[in-house]
Amino acid sequence: MSYGLAVIYGVMRIINLAHAGLMMLAAYVTLTLNTRFGLDPFLSLVVVAPLFFGFGVVLDLTLIRRLPRGGTGPSMQSLLLLFGLWLVLQNLAYVVWGGDTQAILTPYTMSSVPLLGERYGVPLLLVFAVSLASLVGLTIVLRRTFLGKAIRAVTQNRDAALLSGVNAARISAVAFGLGTAFAAIAGTMLSALYAFTPDFGRSLLLKAFCIIVLGGMESFTGVAIGALVLALIENLTGAYTDIPTSFQDAISFSLLVLVLVVAPNGLPALFRGFSRRAVAR
Amino acid sequence: MKLLGVLRNCVLAGLVLVPAAHAQDVVRIGAVLPVTGKESKIGSAYKQATEVAVKEVNDAGGLTVGGKKLKIELSLLDDTSDAAKSAQLVEQLMAQTKVHAVIGGYGSQLVQAQSVVPERYGIPYVSGGAGATSIYGRSKWVFGTLSPVEHLAATQMDFLQDLVASGKLKAPLSIALVTEQTEHGNDYAKGVKDYIAAHPGSWKLALEQKFELYTQDFRPLLGRVQAAKADIFMADAHLEDFVLMQRTYTQMGIRNQMITYGARGADESGRQKLGAAADYIFASGWWSDLLPYPQVKAFNARYKAATGIAPQWYHAMEYETVRGLLVAIQHAGSLDPEKIRAALASLRLTESIVPGGVLYFTKTGQSDLPFVVTENKPDGKVDLVWPKNDKTGEPVAPIPWH
Repeated sequence: MSYGLAVIYGVMRIINLAHAGLMMLAAYVTLTLNTRFGLDPFLSLVVVAPLFFGFGVVLDLTLIRRLPRGGTGPSMQSLLLLFGLWLVLQNLAYVVWGGDTQAILTPYTMSSVPLLGERYGVPLLLVFAVSLASLVGLTIVLRRTFLGKAIRAVTQNRDAALLSGVNAARISAVAFGLGTAFAAIAGTMLSALYAFTPDFGRSLLLKAFCIIVLGGMESFTGVAIGALVLALIENLTGAYTDIPTSFQDAISFSLLVLVLVVAPNGLPALFRGFSRRAVAR
Repeated sequence: MKLLGVLRNCVLAGLVLVPAAHAQDVVRIGAVLPVTGKESKIGSAYKQATEVAVKEVNDAGGLTVGGKKLKIELSLLDDTSDAAKSAQLVEQLMAQTKVHAVIGGYGSQLVQAQSVVPERYGIPYVSGGAGATSIYGRSKWVFGTLSPVEHLAATQMDFLQDLVASGKLKAPLSIALVTEQTEHGNDYAKGVKDYIAAHPGSWKLALEQKFELYTQDFRPLLGRVQAAKADIFMADAHLEDFVLMQRTYTQMGIRNQMITYGARGADESGRQKLGAAADYIFASGWWSDLLPYPQVKAFNARYKAATGIAPQWYHAMEYETVRGLLVAIQHAGSLDPEKIRAALASLRLTESIVPGGVLYFTKTGQSDLPFVVTENKPDGKVDLVWPKNDKTGEPVAPIPWH
């Protein structure tokens, strides 16, 4: 989920508030594929990811592109438009699937395997594997392909990329498609873990913001590190301290505030700063 | 000109008088329910049950009030699960539609918001969808048919105590208590803790933890439950949290002698999402279609014939809420709000479908009816295991873990 937000923010300087709505929609599409065609949630990624990539491109061509450009940060219009889109998607889901709580039950939902002295649910391990594969895939695309280089160029300096002949508008459409596909991958995977309703994703979106701030907004490896740091903090405070587990969210958001104050460019930038100072000494 | 003036006055007087006369021919009942939005699933069920209860009376010729048969005019509004809108719509019904009484919404948060309005207008208000005790006792106009959640917990403790008495469980027993961070969760925790305090030799609280609604990861919390090595695991959770928590509980291989998620567990939707992992969970509720009363059997058949679906607890409690209000209006013999309120306060609706068979309100305006306890059995079977006199099957305790 955080990769998608980071891709879209990096290239387009847009905070995609509709991300949770897209994720929720993908969860319902996965549910439909599971109940109608018996397709396993993880196998349905093959259908859902390309479908939502196309949907993202269409959204960019029909809505996002019409937003006024300018400035280095997200515009108020983009925030309002994407928040509106989230509400539309939510209500669409209420109309199509109703407000009932849904969940997908697979033969391996309750299965677990022992690992490092603990038992881990099979769906959780599959989610971890797909997330890792997504990070590796995204890194390869960004580092080894012309498209990836063009995305990085637009992310670093849109004007310079334009002067170099990169079609920034097309790259933006691809980036929004990619971001939407990542939201869909997250929605599909989470549908195998959680029960969901059309309101699904609100708190996850907040946590995803927290992760990309920790990770430094534009760095995808940083985003993965941010997710790891957050997960470790939440789980370790639960396992090794007496702090009530209901404070998990409070800990996450306190960390967000702390990072914004101490290291507004994220943890990787903070660590780079430390190592530079160490070398200078 | 003078004749024209007289005619005009007659027409105007007629316009004023005709609705006034019409107004006395119907009983205007308002209802504000979350038909859309996040509470829409149960809100829609409440809407259906309200309409069924009203239709039954209208089809039978109407409600007898002061010797006259009056039709019921139902104004049912959707608050979209929004608390502010919910209160505003109740106000609209009382101030503009001039209803004689209001049927309240579903969900403690929505009913909490609505419940401040009746006092301003002096109109009776009855809710069938909120068990939080803090809603009641503040206004003489507010009534509710869902018994306190604290008593739900106490009923479960009575059930467990009975399992000890019958030798199925061995005292002393320790409890890991995990509740959601809501008024519902707090009331549930209080019910369990009060019971433990009253029975110190038999029960011990090994762990007490809270969690946020819609928690994304229960592993840290359940890790503490596992470490506590309690005999009984008692939780209070919404459906989404119940599903994720029980999935994680199963994956982590935790084993307790008995498991409950408060009111969750017996409903079909929960069982579908958990499969065999929902077996042997015991749950308490305000009603069960398994209650062996003739009036419950008749209601089950009547409701299925009217709607095509078997009634769940929420259909039944809303249906009985509407029926209780209509019977109170009949007893009042008048549409005067104060008389209806007094009739509600003294209501004893016998041959009711609620557990215990009698619907009534306490001094706070909230009902205090017995709860039922059900236990899931393999292959989708559910048995009513409490009250003892009404049970449809023997409770299985401790859970036979394979």
